[in-house]
Amino acid sequence: MPTADTSDWGFASELDDVGGAVAIVGIGDADYSRASGRTTHEIAAQATERALADAGLGPAAIDGLMYVPFSGDQFTAAAYHAHFGTSHDLWVSEKGGGMVWAGSAPYEAAQAIRSGRASYVLNTFAVAWATQRSQMVGGPGQVHADDLCKQHLEVPFGWFPQPVYFATIARRHMHEFGTTAEQLGAIAVACRRHANLTPGAVMRDKPLSLADYLRSPPIADPFRKEDCCLISDGGAAYIMTSLERARDLRRPIVAVLGVGVGNSHTGVYWSQQGAFTSTPQVFAAPGAFAMAGLRPADVDVLACYDPFTIVSLMQIEDMGFCRKGDGGPFVSGGRLDFDGGALPYNTHGGMLSHAYVLGIAHVVEIVRQLRHEAAAQVPEATVGVYGGYTGPQASTLILARR
Amino acid sequence: MMHRDFPLPDVEWEPAREFWAAAARGVLSIPRCTACARLVWYPIAPCRACGGRGLEWIALSGRGRLFSWVVVRHAWIPQVADRLPFVTGLVALEEDPTVRLVTTIVDCSPGALRCDMPVHVVFRPLRFSGIERTVPAPMFAPVATDGA
Repeated sequence: MPTADTSDWGFASELDDVGGAVAIVGIGDADYSRASGRTTHEIAAQATERALADAGLGPAAIDGLMYVPFSGDQFTAAAYHAHFGTSHDLWVSEKGGGMVWAGSAPYEAAQAIRSGRASYVLNTFAVAWATQRSQMVGGPGQVHADDLCKQHLEVPFGWFPQPVYFATIARRHMHEFGTTAEQLGAIAVACRRHANLTPGAVMRDKPLSLADYLRSPPIADPFRKEDCCLISDGGAAYIMTSLERARDLRRPIVAVLGVGVGNSHTGVYWSQQGAFTSTPQVFAAPGAFAMAGLRPADVDVLACYDPFTIVSLMQIEDMGFCRKGDGGPFVSGGRLDFDGGALPYNTHGGMLSHAYVLGIAHVVEIVRQLRHEAAAQVPEATVGVYGGYTGPQASTLILARR
Repeated sequence: MMHRDFPLPDVEWEPAREFWAAAARGVLSIPRCTACARLVWYPIAPCRACGGRGLEWIALSGRGRLFSWVVVRHAWIPQVADRLPFVTGLVALEEDPTVRLVTTIVDCSPGALRCDMPVHVVFRPLRFSGIERTVPAPMFAPVATDGA
């Protein structure tokens, strides 16, 4: 029996209306790579320098800084000042960074900018997980292995790490809705095609056909390695300010129209999540679309945090782009392609094929699409959405060209 | 931080001590809320249904249904490399199917597994290469059906 209609398994965060309060006026990518020997500070600093140059701002203009105290070694105020040789006061928020916060940071920034605590807010996120992989310290599985319920009641039975969790979810989705390997593969193929077109994408030079995908052996049935994201070094940054100040800067204006945040009661314990084949986008997306005064049908380009193919498929369903359970047919037949697809999706290649930098590059890509400067450009894109995810939470960020 | 015999469980970890002690006696046991009688899993108060703080461990039938599963073919944990592939997954318990036990599925042919098929508990040692100690644990096997 489908578990998708269980409605008491989570809730929406109550948010003030910040529609139109801020714009994203500067974006910067660090170099994306496999193991590179770089530190997260070096990566975040490079992304920040490029975002400042993009916005036409100097380092002293930034008076707000956002990051997440996660994975250690993020770009704190001390790190910012040490890198740029500055010493001015900075409003600081730890509700920034990647994942769900790449989508909800503009909400916190809007509150700070409205209240006069900051004028130009920088959000950064960087990882060096490819470099750190051999140590498995601070890597993607570590946070789960450290949780005592998981360490003592999941890991001993072999239910670890994330590819195993999400393959279990994919299997159940297949059972409930008839989703197929070909449909999951369609997501991997669309992302790879977009990465093949995107300078700097880790998989730029590695094509993937649906036949290639189906020939690839399973590593955690029903997942093949192509269902799973990369492990990368890289990061990105974006700068936010009020719409008024944005008009004085050099770039086309990309405004934040809506933000939503959804939460699951069971947190990181996916095994116990009421609606096993859903994400908290069920609770995040409606508020964001209401704030923006838009509907999913108005969206020209979508980017979702995509650790696994099934997480893309579930978010597309849960954000309302199709009915629950119809995600498989919806993503098939080139419908996610930038050039003519019904819903151009992860047009830089996503975490499956661009780089695993936990969603911050997705937001940068959406801004680039709305400026009409993307490599795999969606013609005339005016409304773009980022879907952020961590498991316990999801966020929906609605952006529009103004 | 990992304890010494990772990935074996620490059977002295207080919240699940009775789970492992019961398994050693051949019993599947998990706690229920003393206020509302709902099963509480993972075994840490408060009860998610009513907020109650009292837990009492009860014996379960050991029957359930295979909610979902994975055939693991890659050694994300190096200590399992010598027994790939294996099947891990979730069992929805007969007494409350919203409680899903993480477990290992044994005595099965992976190709014959189906979501929601009936399974029953069997007790087998958790054993990892390089670790001498073993821990008896509740695993699950498909219920034999007519003609099987």
